[in-house]
Amino acid sequence: MRATGAALALAALSILPLTALAQQTPATGSARVNYKILPYVKAQVIPNYQSGFGPSGGLGSGSTPAVGAGATLGGGTVDFGNVVVGYQYLYKYAAQVNVQTNDTSGFIVYAEGATDLEGSNPTPSPSTYALFETLYWLKSVAGNTAFSPATSFSATTTGTPLGVNGANGISYAGSPPASTEVWNSATSGSLSQGYDYELRLSGAMPTSQFNVYIVYTVVGN
Amino acid sequence: MRLRTLVTLAGLATVASLAAFSQADALQSNRTYKEVVLTVVVTPSPAPVGFVPFARRGADAVLARNDAAVRSVTHGGVALAFDPFANPLQVAYDPAAWDVAPGLGPVEIAQAQAQPTPVPVQFVAKADPNAQYLHVIPHLAELDAGYGSTTFTCAFEIYTYYTTAYTLTDWGYGTSKSGGSGSFPILNYAATSDLAWQVPDLSATVHNYNNSGSPGETTWTGTAGLKQQHCFNITVNVPATEPAGTYTATIQYNLMTS
Repeated sequence: MRATGAALALAALSILPLTALAQQTPATGSARVNYKILPYVKAQVIPNYQSGFGPSGGLGSGSTPAVGAGATLGGGTVDFGNVVVGYQYLYKYAAQVNVQTNDTSGFIVYAEGATDLEGSNPTPSPSTYALFETLYWLKSVAGNTAFSPATSFSATTTGTPLGVNGANGISYAGSPPASTEVWNSATSGSLSQGYDYELRLSGAMPTSQFNVYIVYTVVGN
Repeated sequence: MRLRTLVTLAGLATVASLAAFSQADALQSNRTYKEVVLTVVVTPSPAPVGFVPFARRGADAVLARNDAAVRSVTHGGVALAFDPFANPLQVAYDPAAWDVAPGLGPVEIAQAQAQPTPVPVQFVAKADPNAQYLHVIPHLAELDAGYGSTTFTCAFEIYTYYTTAYTLTDWGYGTSKSGGSGSFPILNYAATSDLAWQVPDLSATVHNYNNSGSPGETTWTGTAGLKQQHCFNITVNVPATEPAGTYTATIQYNLMTS
């Protein structure tokens, strides 16, 4: 009787398909895979980025400001033209910063002068004048005037200007100082921000032509 | 009859003299003017610091024990900021468990950076022909003020001179009695200004800035040929309702001459 049962069991096993046998094998499990995507940050700065760019203000100076010859739509120089010492000016649509990044934490944009204001033609003595509390930035909105609240640019103290007067940018050992932050975005993607500039000329400023390079640096968060 | 005539004549003389002085005032014209722009940065006052003990219970107590355990984790004698093997458990791990191994020296994690072509800025500064009569010498372009009242000594100076008698007047730029655009700190008529001035060389009186536009208030007067240069102490009163931020105060100074 026992031999008959065993024979029946073997016969039953023999008619089971092989796939059914395979399914009974406990070979499942879980695996966690961590992978990283290298973040990238790309940026462009466009001077005179919108039609209508140029200076206004000079209230009380007796002269009407006009954009200088160095400015062209979508490029060139942020050229205030002739301005009178002791007065305040606004330059509309001075610069637009465009950032593209896949960094989900966003990014920070810093901006500062590569140098102080470099005087020439005629060269004043001393040849430079403080950028701080002379040139200011503010986000571009329709109601801006020469007296709108703005933040002063400063000449870099932690970086090394590259090229003549910083024409090629600033070299930093790390990031620019936090005090020079002009834009902090918590999102990734392709984003833009426009800026107006203000010029507040002290009465002590020498008469001369002044130039400076404003350097924007974008750092992923 | 004689007395009445005398009284009448005296009255006429008074009216005539008043008219003459008023006319003199009206004849004064604005020789030149300057805008003084002050940046007021309102910073929150530090919150009061206190110690409030509390008893941890339930899950908080477990977290507290875990915190203590994490603090005790070390690697090669160096305390770790966190326990890389804390729950959830890692069944398998590589001997190098950290992206950035805790070492003895400073470690920098590279961040993506970009630096586009710099923006060139240029202007040609021309002399101000009116500076010989009126100019401003700024000392503190930024006034960092907490809540309440803060006085800034000699925030700026003003120089005046003219060949005839003159009056220096001021008012908050953009203000008027019929509206205007004045906002904190100068505000607009009929609100009381949150910005005040004092010229200690001339008077101990502290004046709230005029915020009702022209003709404004008299800052000082000068005789013909008198050159004056005085410091201005500026007091900013920040109400508790004013949000922290950056504000601009623009004051127009006018040199009125006859």
